[in-house]
Amino acid sequence: MSENLRQMLDLGLFWEYRSILLAGLAFNFYVFAASASAAIVLGFLAALARVNPLRPLRWLGAVHVETFRNAPDYVMLVWVHFVMPLLIGQAIGMRVTFAPFVSAVIALGLVYSGYLAETFRTGMQAVPRGQIEAARACGMGGVLVMRRIILPQAVRMMLPEAMNNFVSLFKATTIVSLITVPDLMYRVQMVTQQEMRPLPLYTGAALTYFVLIWAVAALARAGSERWRRKIWA
Amino acid sequence: MADPAGAPCVEVVDLHKRFGALEVLRGVSFAVDRGSVVSIIGASGSGKSTLLRCINYLEQPTSGEVRIDGEPIGIERRADGSERRRSMREIGRFRRDLGMVFQQFNLWPHLTVLGNVVEAPIRVRGLPRRQAMELARACLERVQLSEKSSEYPARLSGGQQQRVAIARALAMQPKVMLFDEATSSLDPELTGEVLEVMRGLAVDGTTMIVVTHEMGFAREVSDRVIFLHGGLIEEEGPPAQVFGTPRSERCRQFLAKLLH
Repeated sequence: MSENLRQMLDLGLFWEYRSILLAGLAFNFYVFAASASAAIVLGFLAALARVNPLRPLRWLGAVHVETFRNAPDYVMLVWVHFVMPLLIGQAIGMRVTFAPFVSAVIALGLVYSGYLAETFRTGMQAVPRGQIEAARACGMGGVLVMRRIILPQAVRMMLPEAMNNFVSLFKATTIVSLITVPDLMYRVQMVTQQEMRPLPLYTGAALTYFVLIWAVAALARAGSERWRRKIWA
Repeated sequence: MADPAGAPCVEVVDLHKRFGALEVLRGVSFAVDRGSVVSIIGASGSGKSTLLRCINYLEQPTSGEVRIDGEPIGIERRADGSERRRSMREIGRFRRDLGMVFQQFNLWPHLTVLGNVVEAPIRVRGLPRRQAMELARACLERVQLSEKSSEYPARLSGGQQQRVAIARALAMQPKVMLFDEATSSLDPELTGEVLEVMRGLAVDGTTMIVVTHEMGFAREVSDRVIFLHGGLIEEEGPPAQVFGTPRSERCRQFLAKLLH
């Protein structure tokens, strides 16, 4: 390896700026946590609509899923940040702007609610009919059946797929720098402009993301597997 | 409220059930007195299971009535003579009193054996947890599975699962127990333990409606046997009559086929 290349790949520079960069990583977590929460709530509602006996609700759920699942993260982010405030402003006759963080959470929350809705729906529909009939035969109403019989099983069944959705969502948080959310990537760009040495900084960022996502996902998978195996031995 | 003293425990009146063009039940009527056991037999496709599922409204009857202690499940008759279809919520109130045991057990796999049995008494009847636990333990005792109460259903044999399902239904302290081919999906060596439990319930005076292929059980335990054919009651009477001297040719043929 040439001296030049070694110098370029020296992660010392990344380490030097660690406190600034780690503070950026915290933003990735904030965006992730907020948009994951939004996506879970919205996705669950959309899934409920999709399995509803009422046709208009089913249709509404399908539109939600297809719209957001097929919108690229990047396009959605830019659209929510720049176009949505204009439209809302027009409608209410006031100037509206979204803070970058808010736009990021709305955009990613919507996109991933589309994926999660499908994950939820498959999980709910995987609960055998007979179990639901048994619950109804005991006098349970719809809400009770959902809460006590369907959801506890659906959540277990959908965990592996939901985990994949969340890993994708976390990876998607790395594009929020495009609308100036000060996350890890945003700060890497800032430091790069100052130091003019992109290689160690971007490599450091890539490694950080990789190790983090890999470790968390592996832990979560192992945990969920143990929990699942208890009932489907 | 209807007078529960005079009315039969369960009364089925001119029940029809149609699935599209197919009429599965074509006007079935019978009554079950408190403490008696009625077995429903017949070839597959004769409408036995549909009849049982109509009794607790898992299938909505196309027309006709099911009355529990004289009160119709699906319809409310007001004092002024007008009628109103009951909501699912109201039907749920009747279902508490109808314990159902399914062919496929249908236990909830994410709950332990005890969890399966206490679930409805707590959530539906609103019993305090301690009282529900005591009741559930007594029901598990009755099906001889006390020692399995903290197991998950997946770790039990088919016969044990079905006994848990019986305990789950009993824990609601129903007025009547409905058995839908409770032993049909069990290996032959496991049917005995389930039939034994059912026999015990009958001896204790539980009101039971039993859809079954177990002719020996029907003959020995029932007070009355109903032979269903083509969605109609073809033969009905005490077991000695239905099995010994059936009037209907079809019933004779059905029994002959089973016995040989």
